Amino acid sequence: MTYVEWLRVRNVLRVVAIILGLSIVVSLVLRISFNGYLKDDSTFLSHIQTQVGTRVTHAVLPNGIPQTIIDDPVDKTHVTIDNLGYGGRHIVITEPKTHSHSHDHVTIGSVQVTESQKGDTFTTVIDTNSAVPFLYYMILANLAALIVATILGSPLARENDGHLEFAFTRPASRTELALRAMGVDIVGIVAASVMAVIALIVCQAMFEVPHFDFSGINVQAVLIGIALPLAWFAMLTAATTWMKRGYGAIVGFAWPVAILVLVFGTISWGNSLVGEAVHNIFWVIARLNPLTYVSFSTHPETLGNSPASVAAPDFGPRLAMELILLLIYVALALYQWRRVEA
Amino acid sequence: MSTITIERLRKTYGAYVAVDDFSVTIPEGTVFGLLGPNGAGKTTTFKCMLGLARPTSGTILYGGSPLVPETFQRIAYVPEKSVLYEWMTVAEHVEMQRRTFRSFSVKQAQDLLEQFGIHLRKKARALSKGMRTATQVALAVARQSDVLILDEPTSGLDPINQRNVLNLIINEASRGATVIFSSHQIGQVERAAETIAVIDRGRLALQGSVDDLKSDRKVVEGIFPSEAFALDGIASDPRIGRIDVSGRIVRLLVTGGADEFAGKLDALGAGGVRVVDLNLEDIFLYAVAPSRATADVVEESPK
Repeated sequence: MTYVEWLRVRNVLRVVAIILGLSIVVSLVLRISFNGYLKDDSTFLSHIQTQVGTRVTHAVLPNGIPQTIIDDPVDKTHVTIDNLGYGGRHIVITEPKTHSHSHDHVTIGSVQVTESQKGDTFTTVIDTNSAVPFLYYMILANLAALIVATILGSPLARENDGHLEFAFTRPASRTELALRAMGVDIVGIVAASVMAVIALIVCQAMFEVPHFDFSGINVQAVLIGIALPLAWFAMLTAATTWMKRGYGAIVGFAWPVAILVLVFGTISWGNSLVGEAVHNIFWVIARLNPLTYVSFSTHPETLGNSPASVAAPDFGPRLAMELILLLIYVALALYQWRRVEA
Repeated sequence: MSTITIERLRKTYGAYVAVDDFSVTIPEGTVFGLLGPNGAGKTTTFKCMLGLARPTSGTILYGGSPLVPETFQRIAYVPEKSVLYEWMTVAEHVEMQRRTFRSFSVKQAQDLLEQFGIHLRKKARALSKGMRTATQVALAVARQSDVLILDEPTSGLDPINQRNVLNLIINEASRGATVIFSSHQIGQVERAAETIAVIDRGRLALQGSVDDLKSDRKVVEGIFPSEAFALDGIASDPRIGRIDVSGRIVRLLVTGGADEFAGKLDALGAGGVRVVDLNLEDIFLYAVAPSRATADVVEESPK
């Protein structure tokens, strides 16, 4: 059964690999298409050098880095572009203060923009190859892992569906067989997650040097990104273990039902008795839903009345709930499978 | 592995009694045939023996010990329906068995599959019903287990492969394995099995060695001059298992004393009295057919 489950996992991972491989191919095509744009600054500069009288100076710094300086005496704007090649560009823009600016720091992917003000001069520093919050990688990895977890999410029901004579006549206890099968699936889910991260890094590496930011919430994203798909998988397994057929419907409807429960448990149904009762019922059911405990917010209080903030105001309890759900659902699946008869 | 003992096995599904008070002892190294009409409880008995279904009551012992997971290193089972994984190739099934069972012989499995004309690279879904059965038999036999339990192992097979499976069963027994199998092909059971049990509506109807059953049981047949005849002093004899009356013809299924009953029929005026040997199919049918033509009915027949 472990071998059979491994074959199932292998087949699923093969499909995941094909899809991720295609995305890498698309990235490669894009990389080749943008080659000219990325190679030197001439194309880039032609887009921004529009003002008459603007002076453009090219130089090579002592460390070999090509530098382009654009000076616009009319607007009193000064731009310095250090072309770090594969390492991106470091751009410093100084301009006169035209209106009130506040100090700001924005990160979009690997592009980091820092704005500051000194006297009458406003400075914007743009790094196009800064560290990317690992959270972004984990969002994609989580998506891949959740899809794989959904596909694999009924390992014991699949055995019930006509294979118990194989499964139950092996020299191992049912508990051992079930744990092994689920273990293989869990490895597959984590592998899908890792594959997605690697594919994303490979795609990124075609354009720039990948740098990762593991600070703050990013570590939490990794932990919850692993725990959530596993808890989701365990929930589907527990929900289907008693079935011999028709388990596909449970797996198929799991997503819309889980999202509806989450939403219905979050929104307000008015102040009526019925409304409150409905809200409370869904709120309670939502406690069993692994999706409930997902939140990448560093300020849970900003989530208002969402179940995530109410049930798990910080990361620790949320992660703990995912792990507790994982264990409960695995135990429930084992209990049911021990009672199944061929 | 030694003797397999089933004692007072009972299995119910709600109000439905699938097996009731079924007891049988299967000696080590014998071929045991389990016969019964459809729905008699053969498969349920096998499932209970293998722990696939929980007996409601009763005990099943392998060499005096109850079934534990490790016992399956020594028991191979071929279910009636295909349990192969449709999406897997035959070769992957072979590999699955190799990884699971210590005594599994890949070489023997490959040889047997070749003998059945099954290609290793074929997916199970591409196999016919008979080929699936044959694949399961090959996988089970290649385990070289001490006990082989086969539920309808020739189902869907062509006559050549039926013969092959039967030979495999006999070979397994000659190797020392205990073979337990069910089949609707009673002729095959007669050829391969040393002992049989007949199960009917969940209850044991008959058991014993094939040779003993055949030598003990005879049909004594006679033709009376008219339909108005009486079997005075015969019908109540406990050695008569059954009496069939068809017009002037009477057939007595007797267990022992066939010549004695032939003499009695002759004395009652029956002509053409003869003793007929039974084959296993006759014995089976007498054991499980509805008991309409009983002694009571005959006693009330016109005189």
